[in-house]
Amino acid sequence: MIVIFLVSVNKALDLPIKWTILYVACLTFLYVKIYFLAMINKVCVLGAGSTKYGKLDEGIVEIALNASKEAISSAGITPKDIQAGYISNVFGVADKQVHMAPVIMSNLGIPYVPGLTIESACGSGSVMLREAYANIAAGFYDCVLSLGVEKVTHVGTLQSTTLFSYCSDFFYEGGSGASFPGLFATIARSYMNTFKATEEDLAHVAVKNHENGLLNPKAHVRKKITVDDVLNSPMVASPLKLYDCCPFSDGASAVILCNEEFAKKSGRQYVEIIGSGRGASPAAVQGREDITTIPSTIAAAKQAYAMAGITPKDIDFAEVHDCFTIAEIIDIEDLGFFPKGTAASAVTEGATRRNGAIPINPSGGLKSKGHPIGATGVGQVVEVFEQFTGNAKDRTIKDAEIALTHNFGATGASAAVHIFKKVK
Amino acid sequence: MSETKQHQQSLVSQKFIASAKIGKILANRCLNCGFTMLETIYFCEKCFSSTFQHVEFDGVGKVVTFTIQAVTPEGFEDVGSYAWVVFKMDNASFRVSGFLPGIVTPADLPIGSRVRVSDYDPKHGLLLKKI
Repeated sequence: MIVIFLVSVNKALDLPIKWTILYVACLTFLYVKIYFLAMINKVCVLGAGSTKYGKLDEGIVEIALNASKEAISSAGITPKDIQAGYISNVFGVADKQVHMAPVIMSNLGIPYVPGLTIESACGSGSVMLREAYANIAAGFYDCVLSLGVEKVTHVGTLQSTTLFSYCSDFFYEGGSGASFPGLFATIARSYMNTFKATEEDLAHVAVKNHENGLLNPKAHVRKKITVDDVLNSPMVASPLKLYDCCPFSDGASAVILCNEEFAKKSGRQYVEIIGSGRGASPAAVQGREDITTIPSTIAAAKQAYAMAGITPKDIDFAEVHDCFTIAEIIDIEDLGFFPKGTAASAVTEGATRRNGAIPINPSGGLKSKGHPIGATGVGQVVEVFEQFTGNAKDRTIKDAEIALTHNFGATGASAAVHIFKKVK
Repeated sequence: MSETKQHQQSLVSQKFIASAKIGKILANRCLNCGFTMLETIYFCEKCFSSTFQHVEFDGVGKVVTFTIQAVTPEGFEDVGSYAWVVFKMDNASFRVSGFLPGIVTPADLPIGSRVRVSDYDPKHGLLLKKI
């Protein structure tokens, strides 16, 4: 009918036929796009739970189960409501457990419910969340468990440093002596050389995140620090010092994801995921055209903003991947919160504090809350859930309604960005 | 640990290692579009062709960035202070990274310093030398 109408209009106005073809092509494209968008189920976070991050005595499975139990309780469901389990983990082998998903599902009393274990280095949690999201959005499941877990502190610093180096492009990086602090240190030196940022600028990221982490009872390093503390801490990989680096942590975080119908029926508070994006970068730092940016972050953010129909200005707070202080500075530029080369001074001026223009890492971030690498991306979502359901206590970001999480693997070879909306 | 590294080296590219041992970097030039990339890449990043011609470049270039690590991965504890370096090749469009022994402080290696590939060590990967 629309086509007939357009042809009539065309004839009446005596326009060339190619205009009609163009109109019809545009309308067909819009129709198809709307049709497929309508097919995507809305995905919600119905419950969230987390262990304390830090050096934990329990085994990896017990840590995972403790977070899962808390998330299940928070969602007001029982394991029988869970139709699939998505589990992110990197170094299960360090605690003698790989093929984690079936073990978790069996211990939750649902051994016949399918599980999947996903690894994407430090970005495992968010990459796994994306897969769980996609399966609910596509209608395969109504309700799933999305769980991240890690346990590494028992193996010691040398072994942890070595294990983490396996997440690099090992032939070119770890195999030639680069540790992860070392890789980010090369990025830091490049950024500082290009934009004239200082070690003091980097220190302000650590000071701010430790200030936030003090308010988080589950944070690994709850200690107030000063810029001088950071600058005087031992050198790890020049120019990064001890307080520029996140700790190795044990811990688990879990969320219950479901479709909107399931969430509404529950009668409980929930949070809607309104944007999801994935990105990739060359695996080795040497392969990047520009070492001061992370292409995977830019790509993932662009997709997530487009899906949510918003811009960076609409974000009220963000949990970003601050494995090292330099990472947070690059993240908040790549996510569009600050123009390139300006984030270091913005952080120093307080723009990213809890009362700043764009609060970053109110949880304390990886830097203070900790970095159990398989769990980190899920832990960020737990923070958003607590913020939007009135459980963030003293670290609550006032009047926040839209939040973003950003988490990447290795030096940003893989990344995912998610955007959340508070449901009133 | 060193057993794992030996195994990986035997699979990835003995040709790349053989070139590095004589101070060269082995690259692939795409026969379809002419783009040049490291030898370990299987498909051209520009046109996705997989037919290449090997090209050896002098392993010489300028330091783009680097770090000196206090805590090193296993296998590097006994080598003393070193820099892990990313350098831009003089005669190729790509960058290469490697291990540069004997660097103690950042002042020893200003950005822009010239380095060259000196060897490939089975324990320590691509070895560089300051020139």
